[in-house]
Amino acid sequence: MRIILIGYGVVGKGVTTILSQKYVEKVRDCGFNPKIVAISDIDGAVINSQGLSPEKLETIKHRGYPISADPEFGNPGLKAIEVIESVEAEVVVEVTPVNIQTAEPAISHIIKAFKTGKHVVTTNKGPLALAMPALTELADYNNVYLRFSGTVGGGTPMLEFAKQCLAGDRIRAIRGIFNGTTNYILTEMGQNQVSFQEALTNAQKLGYAEREPSMDIDGFDTACKVVILSNWIMGRKITLKDVDRIGIRDITLQTLEEAAKRGNTIKLIGSIDNNKPSVKPIEIAKTHPLCVSGVLNAVTFTTEYAGEQTLVGRGAGSIETAGAVLRDLLDIRHKLANRMLNINSESYK
Amino acid sequence: MKLVMKFGGTSVGSGINIRRVAGLVTEYAKDNKIVVVVSALAGVTNSLIETSYHAQKSDEKHIQTFTANLLTKHTDAIKEAITSKAIQKEVIDITVKSIAELEKILTGICYISELTPKSKDYVMSFGERLSAPIVWGAIKDHNVQAQWFTGKDAGIVTDSNFGDADPLMNYTSHLVRERLSPLLEKGIIPIVTGFIAANQDGIVTTVGRGGSDYTSTILGVALQADEVWIWTDVDGIMTTDPKIVPSAKMLPQLSYQEATEMAIFGAKAMHPRALGPVSKANIPVRIRNTANPKNHGTLITKEPQSGVTEAAKAVAIIKDVAMLNVYGAAMVGAPGSYAKVFEVLGRNGINVMMISAAASEANISLIIKRDLLGRAISSLEIALQEHGGIISEVTTEDDVAVIAIIGANMKGTLGVASKIFSTVAKKGINIHMIAQGSSELNISFVVKEKDGVAVVQTIHEEFNLDKI
Repeated sequence: MRIILIGYGVVGKGVTTILSQKYVEKVRDCGFNPKIVAISDIDGAVINSQGLSPEKLETIKHRGYPISADPEFGNPGLKAIEVIESVEAEVVVEVTPVNIQTAEPAISHIIKAFKTGKHVVTTNKGPLALAMPALTELADYNNVYLRFSGTVGGGTPMLEFAKQCLAGDRIRAIRGIFNGTTNYILTEMGQNQVSFQEALTNAQKLGYAEREPSMDIDGFDTACKVVILSNWIMGRKITLKDVDRIGIRDITLQTLEEAAKRGNTIKLIGSIDNNKPSVKPIEIAKTHPLCVSGVLNAVTFTTEYAGEQTLVGRGAGSIETAGAVLRDLLDIRHKLANRMLNINSESYK
Repeated sequence: MKLVMKFGGTSVGSGINIRRVAGLVTEYAKDNKIVVVVSALAGVTNSLIETSYHAQKSDEKHIQTFTANLLTKHTDAIKEAITSKAIQKEVIDITVKSIAELEKILTGICYISELTPKSKDYVMSFGERLSAPIVWGAIKDHNVQAQWFTGKDAGIVTDSNFGDADPLMNYTSHLVRERLSPLLEKGIIPIVTGFIAANQDGIVTTVGRGGSDYTSTILGVALQADEVWIWTDVDGIMTTDPKIVPSAKMLPQLSYQEATEMAIFGAKAMHPRALGPVSKANIPVRIRNTANPKNHGTLITKEPQSGVTEAAKAVAIIKDVAMLNVYGAAMVGAPGSYAKVFEVLGRNGINVMMISAAASEANISLIIKRDLLGRAISSLEIALQEHGGIISEVTTEDDVAVIAIIGANMKGTLGVASKIFSTVAKKGINIHMIAQGSSELNISFVVKEKDGVAVVQTIHEEFNLDKI
């Protein structure tokens, strides 16, 4: 399977690492043969239609920015859009930085991929948060797949669990902790009695929080994930502006202490309940399965037949997210194989 | 309120009418956020289609005469509609440029003698591309800020089914919101060409049946408007044709379903396709009269009017139809035999308007357009009768008319059919064929065309439609 990688940050590098491994293991893994045919970053691209070898990928990683300086395959100045348009491949992996104001440039990359008949795997929440109904429609129209497991729960397969393992059951509500940074801050405040500001500074020192932390602490990141769950799992066409959102800036040590007296604590919960999407700090029992600490993520699906199902795991992280990309690639490969073998089926293209 | 207002061909038929439209829009814009959708000037779309056929036949002379006339027609309208000389000039410049482009395309068609659905859509798009700037100029003439868009630039993206394209509704909503919402927030009136859009690669398409009404409901849904107003040259949808029954009344409210059934009223109603997007999103549509804006028109909404108990709301007559009776003992108990009949008709471009078949399965009656009768008989005989086919005989009656009675309250009301048929029988008129749709909102039957008017009148009276 030929892959174009758009974006060469932490996640992009994680993807090349994992795919190099799979490339080497391909014989044992019978049939999945991922070839990265192009990597695009801000400065330009590296392109080899035969696939960049694991050694080459290693060299590129060592050389670092600018990647287009590669003497053999470098294309300085070549734009991502042009790479998607001109390089032959089955899948585009879009892992550029998140932008929740305009979703650019990721959304243009994704649309260009669809129009040129390429499947898309993305870990970028921006396009999905702002235009998920439009993008899923456009993928269907062009008869390609759009996959995005890495956007919710990172390494924890929350979307697949709900979509595949709970198929047929009616999911009545979804509640979860979808942001590791805020969960770390609230855990610090609750367990070590440090102020919000201090906990935030610690999180920044540890690399959990960005220098500009609003995306996390004002609940935007969680809201994006609520949008994705709502569209994909609940079939409700919403975008970011439809989510009621309160962050954790106003949580004080006092509120946490009062909650503790009742055996509870406060968590930033993203939820879809009665079809109402919201993000807000909520008091929950310390014994509740959702009540995980540190940078962990957790989600509880309340279903009609299976009751409450809770999934706990590590959220974002370069290798975890890259692992999610691999799962998506395998899913697409599996579907494509069926499509290509079953030439009489209507979806064959 | 957020309103999408569509003005049809007659509403923008002349410079004076466009002035009136601009007056209406700017008046409503004082308290509302408005998006305007405009059709081509009356007659222009048809003349574009006609000219494209001339071009296909390599009739180059016709093109020059046509574009010269088109320019005069639009320049006249511009001068009537807009008082400011500066704005006049601005709009004339746009018009001259567009017509020059049109001439090139028509000449191109002329040289290669080929008119594809794609190039035909492109040619047709000029009707609205020429009318929208005039409405824009007339609104600016009132010192109100406005901006005009083609359907494509407004963000309407369709499939590539040229001539009859359907929108990719979610993608369209995304783009339209991105492009038009900021203008509405700033109090700028977007004016969008009806009928025309583009596929995902930016190639011009037209939405076909439903036309500009369809564009306006697409925009209404995309922008989550409070209501979509269809401005036209009648007060609203009537209980029947006032030329047949002078006491016919305007219907104040209809459900989407009822309005869909009323498509048989033809041009005076909305095409069901245009109602599709709004009925899903539950956005009301109002039909209003440009010449009589005091009238509130017909409101089309989710629920039929409350408090109205009469089973029927409207009665229509469809003329110029013919009845086709297909007989064949071989059809009895033979799976797929009806399908063969319909397939032959469909392949020959014959639309079946009404069907009735008895449980005996030995015969089936169909209503089709009268001018297609010869082709229908011939096709059926050739395909299914000769060489021992399933049909033994085809008979016709070409002097008939369909009477349709519509109303949401028919469903579940006992005795509606008996009331209708006894009313007709009292007049001594024979019924030739009967059908009731599964929606139970519509009973249709066939009488001799000479009796049609009397039937409509007596039913209108019997169901008290003049008191609705």
